Amino acid sequence: MAEKTATPNRGYGRWTPFWFLAPAVLTLLLIGIYPTIFALVTSFRRYNITRPRDGFPFIGFENYLNVLSDSTFWSSLLLTARFYVTVLPVQIALGLAIALLLHKPGMGLLKSLARVTLVVPLATTYAVVGLIGRLIFNRDFGVANQFLNWFGFPGFDWLGSPSGAFAAIAIMDIWQWTPFCALIFLAGLSMVPGEIEEAARLETSSRLSLLRYVQLPYLLPGLTAVMILRSADVLKLFDMVFVMTRGGPGSATDLVSVYIQRVGFRIFDLGTASAQAILLLILTIIISRLYIRVLYREVN
Amino acid sequence: MKRMLKVCASVAAIAAATASMPSAALADWLETAAEPLKGTEISGIFLDRPGYRAIIKLLPEFEKKTGIKVNYEIVPYENTREKQVLNFTSQGDLTMALVDLVWIGEFAESGWIDPVDNFAKDASITDPNLKLEGFFPLLLNAFGSWGGTTYGLPFDNYSGLLFYNSCQLKDAGFDKPPATWEELKDVYGPKLTDAANNKYAFALQSLRGETQSADSFMRFLWPFGGSLLNKEFKSNLMSPESQTGLNFRQDLMKYMPPGIVSYDHAEAVNALAQGQVSMITEWSAFYGTLVDPTTSKLGDCLAVAPEPAGPAGRLPALGGFSLAVASQASEEEKKATWLFIQWATSEEIAKSYVEAGGVSGRMSVYEDADIKAKYKFVEPMVASWQAGVPEFRPRFPAWPAISEVIAEWGTKMMLGEVSVEAGSKEIGTRTEEILGKEGYYDGKKELLQ
Repeated sequence: MAEKTATPNRGYGRWTPFWFLAPAVLTLLLIGIYPTIFALVTSFRRYNITRPRDGFPFIGFENYLNVLSDSTFWSSLLLTARFYVTVLPVQIALGLAIALLLHKPGMGLLKSLARVTLVVPLATTYAVVGLIGRLIFNRDFGVANQFLNWFGFPGFDWLGSPSGAFAAIAIMDIWQWTPFCALIFLAGLSMVPGEIEEAARLETSSRLSLLRYVQLPYLLPGLTAVMILRSADVLKLFDMVFVMTRGGPGSATDLVSVYIQRVGFRIFDLGTASAQAILLLILTIIISRLYIRVLYREVN
Repeated sequence: MKRMLKVCASVAAIAAATASMPSAALADWLETAAEPLKGTEISGIFLDRPGYRAIIKLLPEFEKKTGIKVNYEIVPYENTREKQVLNFTSQGDLTMALVDLVWIGEFAESGWIDPVDNFAKDASITDPNLKLEGFFPLLLNAFGSWGGTTYGLPFDNYSGLLFYNSCQLKDAGFDKPPATWEELKDVYGPKLTDAANNKYAFALQSLRGETQSADSFMRFLWPFGGSLLNKEFKSNLMSPESQTGLNFRQDLMKYMPPGIVSYDHAEAVNALAQGQVSMITEWSAFYGTLVDPTTSKLGDCLAVAPEPAGPAGRLPALGGFSLAVASQASEEEKKATWLFIQWATSEEIAKSYVEAGGVSGRMSVYEDADIKAKYKFVEPMVASWQAGVPEFRPRFPAWPAISEVIAEWGTKMMLGEVSVEAGSKEIGTRTEEILGKEGYYDGKKELLQ
């Protein structure tokens, strides 16, 4: 009688991976895919929830045409782009500087403390960042003007002037997101093999050359991630701006997300708001693909 | 006029029904009415403002008497409408609607709130002393009624008042506040402004949002004889009166702190409380903040007067809320909610409500000598409520969209990014576009505001 061989993978069947993946996939479908499909469907309808008697008729591309011919949408999108190109270079430069400092050998305890501190702005809720911003940039008792006074400059009306308000929200965004860039770059720097970096240090005393030829290739994937994530994030930046300025004064800080929120949840024109959101999603995908194509390089 | 008659007729009918109740029923009507509703839970939204803190203080009394549990969530004003609209459209759990003056048209036309008549005709759940005629007629009409039907009872009502620092005015040689806007600007403004020392005569909260549209922009239309819309619902902003008012606001800015477009209510109240400005026009509800020594340096220097008059008379800002029964509630919840609304707005608790920091919409409480003596804001507020414009801000469903347009272009005007004339034209054009889409120009909708 032939001896029965023991099954090597007890309890593991064809469907096992499916069951392990199912909860994550279902959750993603529920909270990610379903709302996106719902927004897509809504964007082709006249859908104002405060006018239930008007129904929700299918109107084809009317919402998209309205959005594309809406000057306020374009000006707020342009302002968002201006905001992005203002904050991102500063965040990348400061983040890289911080990461390089933390990557230097020595001072272990201080560096650990600095790493933990970097998480604090990231963990702060956007609305709280906005509230802090309102206090910092208050014309009469804010620390921003106090700081200017120490250096002999007169106080500035931050939140009451268009350029001041724009600068104020940019500074708060830089404060909140520079640590994120620093941590990503630090992770990139820690990927550089020690022996290569050491050899390079022996070959050249130029820190710039070390950064350019040895460390930068390891930073590029992180840089691409930072740019993609920050693009998506700036396009949906709402809470902090709303709390600090409500999009004003005038339309000085009326970023596209503030405008969409207004259309969606003040006017409750969900059809138009969905069309705006879908257009932003398409824009984010295009920008991300561009970044990946231009910047992303695998390190060999 | 027709609408006013309808409201009066409805008030009279309810008054007649309740007047015929036997007086024995008066004593414990609430307990009796609540008997079959014991254990029912009702829910609504409150704001973080003195009027709500006051009713929360008194709530245990209601819950003890009735056995009805009142659940409430405190929400910032800016999110209140959004939260309620989403709740009503998704058939949520709210049994009571907190209706701002400018939401009444939208809530009523969408069928989210029930008319008061639905409940008042049922004697078993109606206060024999309900007395709708005991509310200030302006409040009941503006806050609670739409299209001639009463939906809600006035709760947490405000009038725009002139709060001023009488000590600073005295030091500048004034023994009384300005009676007119012109006087405020031309006589008081120069004397009370010392920009070098960061002192200003007046602060007008003008932050983008409802603060800009309601508190700043509209405040300078009505007293000057202007208005947002004419009788045909076309823009009236280019009329000489409206232009005079808006240009006046622009001129007045030289006596206001720089950056006034970043001032919300808190900043304006604080500027007066800390002595930076001498006068503000604010809602009566901020009286509590200004007399509180932990938030205000004013002490005995605080004085209150009605808002200054314009060429068209004294037409102060009007704001506030009403409480209404939500249509989505079950029958039991509706009855329990109706009991709560009657109690919260009743003459019976009006005095304790005012003493707890609220502002009642009942006339009788302000005749009380103690109340008059204790609260400086009472007399000017009552004077302001004698006459006023219910449609100070239009109350139709299109207001939120129009308010956003005013908020943007009104601030641009103040900043000098556009002229008053160009800004008014822009607001007018966009307002007419919104109203056109709503169907006001093709006869689809009645011209109600």
